[in-house]
Amino acid sequence: MAEEPLETEETGTDLPDGLVPPDEDALESADDSDGLMPPHKEPESSGRGGPVLLRERYLVDSGARLPEFDQPSAKAYAVEDRRDLANKVFALVCTPGVPVRMDDIIAFRTMDFPGVLALIEWEVVPWPPLGQSAMVIVYEKPLGGRVIDRLRRKDVRITEYDVPRRLTEPLIEGLQALNDKIGPHRALRPDNLYYLDADMQEMVLGPHVTAPPGFDQPPDFEPIDRATCQREGRGTGDIRDDVFALGVTIIHIVTGYNPVAKVKPENLIHQRLENGSYTALCGNTRLPLPLIEPLRSMLADDPSVRWNHTEVNNWVTGQKTNPVKKTSSPRAEVPFRFRKREHLTLATLAWHFAQHPSDAVRAVQSDDFVNWIKRYPEGSATLESIRGAVQTAKFHTESYQGSDYFLVSKLSNILDPTAPIRYKDLAFMPDGFGTLLAIHWGLKGDPQEAAQLLAHDIPTLWFTTREKLSRPLLDAQKNIAKLKSLLAINDPGYGLERVVYESNRGFACMSPLIAKSNVVVIEQLLPALELAANSADTSSRPIDRHIAAFIAARFDQDIHPHLKALASPKEDTSIIGMLSLLAFLQWKLRAPSMLALTSWVGGLLGPAINAYHNRHTRDQLEKEIPRLVRKGSLPEIFNMIDDAEKRQEDGEGFRAAQEEWLQAEEEIRDIEGAGEERLTKAERSGQQAAATISIMLGLTVVSILLVMEIM
Amino acid sequence: MAVQNATQGGRDWSKVLGMGTVMVLLAIFSLPTLIVLLPGMLPTGVAKVCDRTDQRYATFCVGGLNLCGVFPYLLKLWTDDHSINAAANIISDIFSILVMYSAAGFGWMMFMAIPPVVSAFLTVLAQRRVTFLRSLQEDIVTEWGPEVSMIDDADSKPAPVANKRR
Repeated sequence: MAEEPLETEETGTDLPDGLVPPDEDALESADDSDGLMPPHKEPESSGRGGPVLLRERYLVDSGARLPEFDQPSAKAYAVEDRRDLANKVFALVCTPGVPVRMDDIIAFRTMDFPGVLALIEWEVVPWPPLGQSAMVIVYEKPLGGRVIDRLRRKDVRITEYDVPRRLTEPLIEGLQALNDKIGPHRALRPDNLYYLDADMQEMVLGPHVTAPPGFDQPPDFEPIDRATCQREGRGTGDIRDDVFALGVTIIHIVTGYNPVAKVKPENLIHQRLENGSYTALCGNTRLPLPLIEPLRSMLADDPSVRWNHTEVNNWVTGQKTNPVKKTSSPRAEVPFRFRKREHLTLATLAWHFAQHPSDAVRAVQSDDFVNWIKRYPEGSATLESIRGAVQTAKFHTESYQGSDYFLVSKLSNILDPTAPIRYKDLAFMPDGFGTLLAIHWGLKGDPQEAAQLLAHDIPTLWFTTREKLSRPLLDAQKNIAKLKSLLAINDPGYGLERVVYESNRGFACMSPLIAKSNVVVIEQLLPALELAANSADTSSRPIDRHIAAFIAARFDQDIHPHLKALASPKEDTSIIGMLSLLAFLQWKLRAPSMLALTSWVGGLLGPAINAYHNRHTRDQLEKEIPRLVRKGSLPEIFNMIDDAEKRQEDGEGFRAAQEEWLQAEEEIRDIEGAGEERLTKAERSGQQAAATISIMLGLTVVSILLVMEIM
Repeated sequence: MAVQNATQGGRDWSKVLGMGTVMVLLAIFSLPTLIVLLPGMLPTGVAKVCDRTDQRYATFCVGGLNLCGVFPYLLKLWTDDHSINAAANIISDIFSILVMYSAAGFGWMMFMAIPPVVSAFLTVLAQRRVTFLRSLQEDIVTEWGPEVSMIDDADSKPAPVANKRR
């Protein structure tokens, strides 16, 4: 079955120039971790390093690592507060190429969140060990250290009786505070809990802004739908996903180990899909009786019945709760064997099918499968849907809709409507598409598949198979439709670049010009371009597709006219569009003088100046530009180049000159084009002149003779 | 229709009739004058026959000067002795005939010589005008750029001046 690659602007086979590849080991540790093991603990010393000043206050020592505060996607370093030496803080240096949670970072600057480690300050600064700029976030230092370390060292003990008050209460408070103001935490796990005080009385949630939601979480700590996604596509989720992670955290802390540490990840997913997350994650562990019902309620796979923070609060405060009843999902009496794995439920089959599309397409058309699903509870209806999907695929053998990938994506939705969106090697929740695209492009360098699924409308397939769409899903559907419409436009400021920045507020601009500057917020853009002007090829333009899309996504002003001009096929209009956009940015953002950038832009203004017809005007502009370049003011250059009055005068003058030229040309044509006619005309004039002279002479002679005779 | 036919036939009979009438009247009332005029103005008649121009420039040119040559003898005839004998003496005098015909010849020479001179003069004037206009166009192009010579109308689109010059 046919499958055509999507044509995108960039194939993305490589990372943007200058972007430093992430520390794969550190990132992979999230998946490998059992939740109890903190990230790398061995002390590290960087070959390159030195202090870095953040906001002219916090001195971050790039040579002094603090591994005990590391996040899977961010490394911790020692920080000195130059204004208050007693202030204990540390810094997390985020991995370039991984989107940060920018909205949360900004919210932390203006709001307090009890129960959550306080974010003090942030800035994107040049980071010597990476040789490029990185997002550095300063956090209050938890004096009691990591909870899991304290538990392991037996400095503190949390028993089953302490769970509600000493563990759950502070955490659910923090989760609730966050959820009420900005959203879920989505990084709750045992190694991300800290004691704020040295006495280990106040437990807080650790940092969560250094990576996309759920990105740093081991799959065990994610609800089953998000656990089967790639970690970059797990999506924002909501507080019920935090409650799930809280449930798993409680199991790990109470038992003191990970009950499923030795189970292979794919087997664990299979077990969770088949038997439910609670049963699978607890394994054979004997949990304290008072915790069984609350944990089963927190680990319910159906988010609509899973406890929310209110129920957890009720449990913590001893009020009446509504525990989730143990239910058994429908399953077949005999297993269906697919690629050496036996399946009793459609959910496991859908998950397994997605991993082997070609085999899956053959399997669903086999008699064995048909016989098996007919005996499955309500399997006949499912079989009809599957047959319909297969028939539709056969009608579209020449297009992507007839490909195995497309069909298996449909089959996955039919077999397990609660499963994430699955297409090719990708599995993600609808609210995780943005981060999926960003990570695939920013870290893996290949946005092709992520772009393809959007262009092929795969999310719409998923939404149509859902019986009921909740408010968050409706929002996600609307958002994906918006992204698809942006993808369809190929002008600068749109396309796949716009999609990635529009769907990731904390994703740095990937333009090769400024990749090393790690530009996350719009205010950083002009300084980064100013820096790039010193080393970039100044014959190229300072605005490429990435930068245009980044501005369009981040700048809260209407820049459509600028983008339209920028997209013009006429070079002078396009250059003026570029200048106007940069000038508008400098003016609106009140950016200081940009000498290098102005010089760079000034050198590109040839076509814009040549758009004036009058030579004197052009000479005058060319003389003026160096003076304005020395002022570093793009708005002034723009005002001079695109003066409406001057343009009108030039246009009118040009039209008059055109008319004059044409008149002269017509007269020349008359003179030169006449040829024989002109000669004939001249000869006739000569004959006329001769006749006239002769007549005049004759009359004169006659008159003289007459007069002489009379006299 | 009759007038049209007469014109189309190449002979204007009213003119012939007019000329005939004048000749008859002259023969009746002033026969000596007619005797001098007829041979004296013969070159003009020949010129009229040879003249192919609509405006009969050759006829006027030869006729004007031929009249200059004939008129002194006519004047002498009218003032001295207006008789057939005197007229015959003038006509038979080789010198007088020579004067009359030389004047006509001079008229013919004028008709041959002046047109090329006038034509050359007009050509020089036209070339000077073209030079001036080219210079004006060049100034316009220098001031406003070569696109000033690009006219949208495809039929009348001239090439830029620089190209045209090459």
